[in-house]
Amino acid sequence: MKHYEVEILDAKTREKLCFLDKVEPHATIAEIKNLFTKPHPQWYPARQSLRLDPKGKSLKDEDILQKLPVGTTATLYFRDLGAQISWVTVFLTEYAGPLFIYLLFYFRVPFIYGHKYDFTSSRHTVVHLACICHSFHYVKRLLETLFVHRFSHGTMPLRNIFKNCTYYWGFAAWMAYYINHPLYTPPTYGAQQVKLALAIFVICQLGNFSIHMALRDLRPAGSKTRKIPYPTKNPFTWLFLLVSCPNYTYEVGSWIGFAIMTQCLPVALFSLVGFTQMTIWAKGKHRSYLKEFRDYPPLRMPIIPFLL
Amino acid sequence: MAAAAATAAAKGNGGGGGRAGAGDASGTRKKKGPGPLATAYLVIYNVVMTAGWLVIAVGLVRAYLAKGSYHSLYYSIEKPLKFFQTGALLEVGIVPSSVVLTSFQVMSRVFLIWAVTHSVKEVQSEDSVLLFVIAWTITEIIRYSFYTFSLLNHLPYLIKWARYTLFIVLYPMGVSGELLTIYAALPFVRQAGLYSISLPNKYNFSFDYHAFLILIMISYIPIFPQLYFHMIHQRRKILSHTEEHKKFE
Repeated sequence: MKHYEVEILDAKTREKLCFLDKVEPHATIAEIKNLFTKPHPQWYPARQSLRLDPKGKSLKDEDILQKLPVGTTATLYFRDLGAQISWVTVFLTEYAGPLFIYLLFYFRVPFIYGHKYDFTSSRHTVVHLACICHSFHYVKRLLETLFVHRFSHGTMPLRNIFKNCTYYWGFAAWMAYYINHPLYTPPTYGAQQVKLALAIFVICQLGNFSIHMALRDLRPAGSKTRKIPYPTKNPFTWLFLLVSCPNYTYEVGSWIGFAIMTQCLPVALFSLVGFTQMTIWAKGKHRSYLKEFRDYPPLRMPIIPFLL
Repeated sequence: MAAAAATAAAKGNGGGGGRAGAGDASGTRKKKGPGPLATAYLVIYNVVMTAGWLVIAVGLVRAYLAKGSYHSLYYSIEKPLKFFQTGALLEVGIVPSSVVLTSFQVMSRVFLIWAVTHSVKEVQSEDSVLLFVIAWTITEIIRYSFYTFSLLNHLPYLIKWARYTLFIVLYPMGVSGELLTIYAALPFVRQAGLYSISLPNKYNFSFDYHAFLILIMISYIPIFPQLYFHMIHQRRKILSHTEEHKKFE
């Protein structure tokens, strides 16, 4: 069997970082990354980006050496992606924060509102209901992170955890401050408004969960396969007929429901920002579906049926 | 900071009124210049802006000579200042540089003009206003003429030198003027409850403009040094690059 030689150069300085000889032709990039880590232990595989061209795209871990357009001496270029952190860690941290922070405001822990309000309870039913909904939402997210989601990338850059936590924790504190404020004003249309909003919220939470389960079932454990998602027997998944990312659609719907329930402007702003971000993600996902699958259903829009 | 960001956005990415390949010092950039119609538009835009800021400069000088003092000159250039600084919003779409950086820069200038100076009439007679107006005026005249000449592929070294050197004084001057003006506005904002809303209200929202302005002032601390040192770095890169070129001429 012919063995390959692999030399790894720094993409920016072209400095020779590593020379591997007697590499199996069917070795994967993942295996090569493990070999590269040995002389450079600070560059663990998750932070390595190897490519054929210094300015090109990163090679995938599953790519096989002999299938790449290289001779028997392959030259790969290395870029340091920076310190990495696992997706699971980031998700757990960014979701645990809002859960905990909201409760600090709900229980009116000292130094937030005036001292005469310390540990008092709101007299509005909707405030208690809102706490239940908000807490349920983040508990659901934490459980999904632990038991439902299957991540295609193990890690993300470390700086993301600071960015993401600032966003989630900051908004949670901002919303919670007003909803649990002693001067909170309940919704204009009273119990009717709250009931309608609750219905929207619950339906969208169920919908979002259904989509997460459907997506999970598309991908076998430990694999990174990608398939077109289709509606299942669960009616909540029928939204797949109209959008590529119904999980985002339902998520936006949940927050709109929460905004109507609490009639709180910061919640509406949070929904708007979240919607903007999810639209960007949905459009990206939609585009990659279209690129990858020739037979992708043409009726589908990224996030809002027929519109967006 | 509005002054600092203006030049940083422009210089860091060759943004502002568009850029041509040759004139800009980032020689490694191989991007094509804009097409003939776009170039014409950009040239006109930059010429108009240069003229506009010259009008402001002349207006300041004339008012000074007429009044015999440098106090309260704001009133004599208020309208062109508002017009041409707000007009810079047009740059955000057409500029090759990062939309984020450009819009940040323009928004902070527009904020100072409208949400501080215009809104709080009592600060209009402050000397700090003159400080940032002068800084902005000189910076913008040089910046827009730089772009004009670059687009026409005929950039005098003096303009390039001025753009990458005068900021050393103009940035801190502009930032000082801006901060002092915001600081001067604070008591009046508090007294009038300007742009502020308090609880309870049916949208369960509150906003304290006084606190917001203080936060803005604090934000200068991390942001200004970054922009300033970015400019210093650009200056070293660009002016030494030209020196080398001149050696081989």
